[in-house]
Amino acid sequence: MLAEKYPERVAKIFSKYPDKRSGVMALLYLAQEEYGWISDEALSEVAALCEIDPTQVKSIAGFYTMYSEKPKGKYWLQVCTDLPCALRGADEFYKGLCDYLGVKDGGTTEDGLFTVEQVMCLAACDHAPMMQCNFHYHENFDLEKAKTLVDRLRAESAQKQPSSEK
Amino acid sequence: MAETVTISIDGQSYQVPKGANLVDAAKLHGTDIPVFCYHPKMKPVGMCRMCLVELGSVTVNRESGKPDLDEHGQPVIRWQPKLQTACTQTVSEGMAIRTSTAKVVEARDDILEFILTSHPLDCPICDKGGECPLQNLTMAYGPGESQFLYDDKQHLAKHVPLGELIYLDRERCIQCARCTRFCDEVVGDDVLAFHERGRKLQIVTVSDPPFDTKFSGNTTDICPVGALTTADFRFGARPWELSEVPSICPHCPVGCNISASTRLDRDSGGKKVIKRIMPRQNEQVNEIWICDKGRFGHHHSLSSNRLQTPMLKKDGAWVEIDWKTAYQEVTSRLQKYGEKVGFLAGPSLSNEDLWEMRKLARRTCRDCQIGLWPATMTGLEAVTQAGVGVGTHLAALGPESAILVIASDFEEEAPIWWLQVKQAADRGAKVMVANARPTKLDQYAKCVVRYEYGEAVEVLNHIAVFARRHDKLNQTLVEGRVDGFAELEADLKGKRVPKQHSEAAELLLDTENLVIFAGNEGLTLAQQAELMQAAANLLILTGHVARPNNGLVAVWPGANMQGALDLGFSAEATVSLLDNPPSMWVIGDADPVAEDARAAAVLDQAEFVVVSTQFMTPTAEQADLVLPVLSFAEREGTFTNAMRRVQRFYMAQTPLEGALSAWKVFAQIGSALPGGDKPRISAALVMRDIAQHVVRYAGMNYTDLAHVETQFPDVGGHDLYYGGNAYANHGGLGIQWATNAEKENYRLTVRPVSAEAPKYEDLTLIPIRLLYNRDVLFEPSTVMHARIPAPYADFNAKDAAQLGIIDGDQVVISAGDLQINVSARVNGQAPTGFVLLPIRLSQLPVPAAPAMCSVQKVEE
Ligand code: SF4
Ligand code: SF4
Ligand code: FES
Repeated sequence: MLAEKYPERVAKIFSKYPDKRSGVMALLYLAQEEYGWISDEALSEVAALCEIDPTQVKSIAGFYTMYSEKPKGKYWLQVCTDLPCALRGADEFYKGLCDYLGVKDGGTTEDGLFTVEQVMCLAACDHAPMMQCNFHYHENFDLEKAKTLVDRLRAESAQKQPSSEK
Repeated sequence: MAETVTISIDGQSYQVPKGANLVDAAKLHGTDIPVFCYHPKMKPVGMCRMCLVELGSVTVNRESGKPDLDEHGQPVIRWQPKLQTACTQTVSEGMAIRTSTAKVVEARDDILEFILTSHPLDCPICDKGGECPLQNLTMAYGPGESQFLYDDKQHLAKHVPLGELIYLDRERCIQCARCTRFCDEVVGDDVLAFHERGRKLQIVTVSDPPFDTKFSGNTTDICPVGALTTADFRFGARPWELSEVPSICPHCPVGCNISASTRLDRDSGGKKVIKRIMPRQNEQVNEIWICDKGRFGHHHSLSSNRLQTPMLKKDGAWVEIDWKTAYQEVTSRLQKYGEKVGFLAGPSLSNEDLWEMRKLARRTCRDCQIGLWPATMTGLEAVTQAGVGVGTHLAALGPESAILVIASDFEEEAPIWWLQVKQAADRGAKVMVANARPTKLDQYAKCVVRYEYGEAVEVLNHIAVFARRHDKLNQTLVEGRVDGFAELEADLKGKRVPKQHSEAAELLLDTENLVIFAGNEGLTLAQQAELMQAAANLLILTGHVARPNNGLVAVWPGANMQGALDLGFSAEATVSLLDNPPSMWVIGDADPVAEDARAAAVLDQAEFVVVSTQFMTPTAEQADLVLPVLSFAEREGTFTNAMRRVQRFYMAQTPLEGALSAWKVFAQIGSALPGGDKPRISAALVMRDIAQHVVRYAGMNYTDLAHVETQFPDVGGHDLYYGGNAYANHGGLGIQWATNAEKENYRLTVRPVSAEAPKYEDLTLIPIRLLYNRDVLFEPSTVMHARIPAPYADFNAKDAAQLGIIDGDQVVISAGDLQINVSARVNGQAPTGFVLLPIRLSQLPVPAAPAMCSVQKVEE
């Protein structure tokens, strides 16, 4: 439970707003960080903290693409395929990445390590193609660099070392 | 008339109310601006763009401050280059719109074309087809053809349950947000919301239970397409096969105006039956809303358990008899027992039934008691003096008004009033809630007063003391028309007013209007009587009477308790009947055996009990003769709501064979007694008798009760797109009887009230009322069963800890001779020392008034 595990962070979030319901987005991030995704239980938990109906929380989690309502891998690879990136080959890059991981669009690898996803503009058009791994930007990217990153993360996970990606 | 401004619509000038919404203003003068997302009962959001118009304003010469004129002497209008959404405009002086130029027509075409890109071609199988705003507006404004590819239509889930009452068809939704805004804005239950965006957007609910609101059905009326349908009516009939019959909800004291959608139904042997219940507009009563109990709780009328023939108990077994024999059985016994007959009427009998029952009682003996069931509330005198003024309009109350709700769980006892008071609070009305425990209205209240059960009367006394000390009395009224002031003053003098109560008083007495809703939670009959008088005292002294939006309303149980009181029935008579039991009882549509152990015991001792009833209730089981009667849907009649509005209901359904209207039954029995006259041939004629004999109903008749006037917003005409599918009122707006305060030549009486409350020690059980229960008229509506809780009782955490029980435990509550099996809830509702026990969650009696109790945990 977030309130028990992170009492200070929760309190800090609430301290920023005049009413509890305003803390919903920050708490959703916290929940996602903790559980990896926003499950129905997480919705209810956040709703109870903010004293609103879980339906409202679900609506917010659904509206913003940065919240994931599906379980996903330890590493969340988001590739921008909007127009500027597409002009720089993002589509092929994305397809290549999927093939390398052996998953379909939006899929998660069998070992549960990687989830890939196409997203809308991440505001790094001048460094396209680009990708985001757990909210960390990788710009001027290409398939080779991506493969290296994937391999490295795999290896790190295998050794159970803490990830360098935060 | 309120302030107006002049606007021009398509070149014509009109006077419209200042501050009005442009769509409403145009509508007032007969100009339809098509809308999807806008609804006259909600704030505009400008989401659908269907209401685009050309908007302009008169240009004003800066120097002269006068409008510029063109060569014909007409004001020059500057038109905005782009079309504007009419629904987001408030009218202002000099505003001009054009609603049918080529530009506007094209825009509407385009919007419709867009909306239809994702809409299925479902009309032939859609419940809304035939009364669908989208269908109608497409016919009226649509381009007729689409440039989009049909094969590119997206396909989405079509039977998504939003809980067990409402279904969502995702393909049909046009994303207008009327349903979600209704829940957020109108009701305040945020249980419906948009999820995702763009083409993926859908309506979701994850509350527990899903779509957790008592008003969910209304979303299906205001949804401008067939995206939301009710589990009760889905695929039940096509709208054009239905004929609408005006009726009145038989479930609670609000008296919502409803429309029974009926048709000749094959599955019911060709009989005319109710297929669904819809709201019928009455702005003074329910506006265009009804609660889910009213909408889905009509199935008792078609239940296969209805009684169809009179039955006599012979040697413990029921024998079917014909009506003639039945009448003889009753008449002969009435003659035999004479003085020793008692009469008892339930709270859902029509005024006509009650009148004939009363006549029968009078003919049986001079002072036969006519009791009222349940015998938990009284206070006709207080209402007669200080009831809310005729024309009271909750939907219009705002900052100039204060509303006090005392001793009532308002949403459970009178849902639509709750909704209206909640919205009044949103508009700035000062709402105060006084109760011994939290209720849902608290969150909208400016002030919440907590007292201990039994102390309700004292709260009102304190407010009166405050009024006296702070010069809030209406001296003209007090000196001119009020009797008993000196005694009351002497009694109130010197009372110490706790700070909390004086703050509350300050809030309540600072406004132009004051309405008090008084319930009976936690009160004995005697205390409740005092509460009513205390409320009347306060209202009279402060002059909050004799005007609309001022006065007292009792939150009675049942749909027609007001009528029963008006016609002479009373709880006091019931008490005296139970204290001195008669040998014979005549009971009309009441079920005391299921509700009260003492009544059950008394009836068991009686020599002969006759019950008129629709069902074999526990009371009927225990009786000697049962007489099957018709439901509210199968006959004509009137109910009087708790705001004293007498309202007609009409025959919607083919009457059940074998059953008769209760008034006819009583009239037939009476006609065979000495001095009896021929029964009236219609309910209208019974009402004529009532009007001749009962002062409150003087001058009323079925024609005047059926009178209707145009109401605003104008809902339910051909223009479904505007207000939704609630029906226009063709059955009558009803008539409120005037209080004594409103009749200038009447004097008003105040008197000291006793605020004496027992000191509750140990554990005390408080019966509470829930909307969804197993009342005979509601239980047959199986569609609602998932919402009726299993019998439970609420415990305070401290008491629970002492008793060693936790949330969910099974417990036995012993009160007097009663043993009540329930599951325990510990959720912060019950105050320390009190156990809240909802009545009528089973067929077994629970105490009807506060009672000492002990509790035992049931070991597994
Ligand atoms: S379900 Fe109906 S009311 Fe709700 S957004 Fe969709 S179209 Fe509008
Ligand atoms: S509020 Fe009362 S009268 Fe209105 S529909 Fe609901 S139960 Fe019926
Ligand atoms: S935008 Fe005006 S009605 Fe929808």
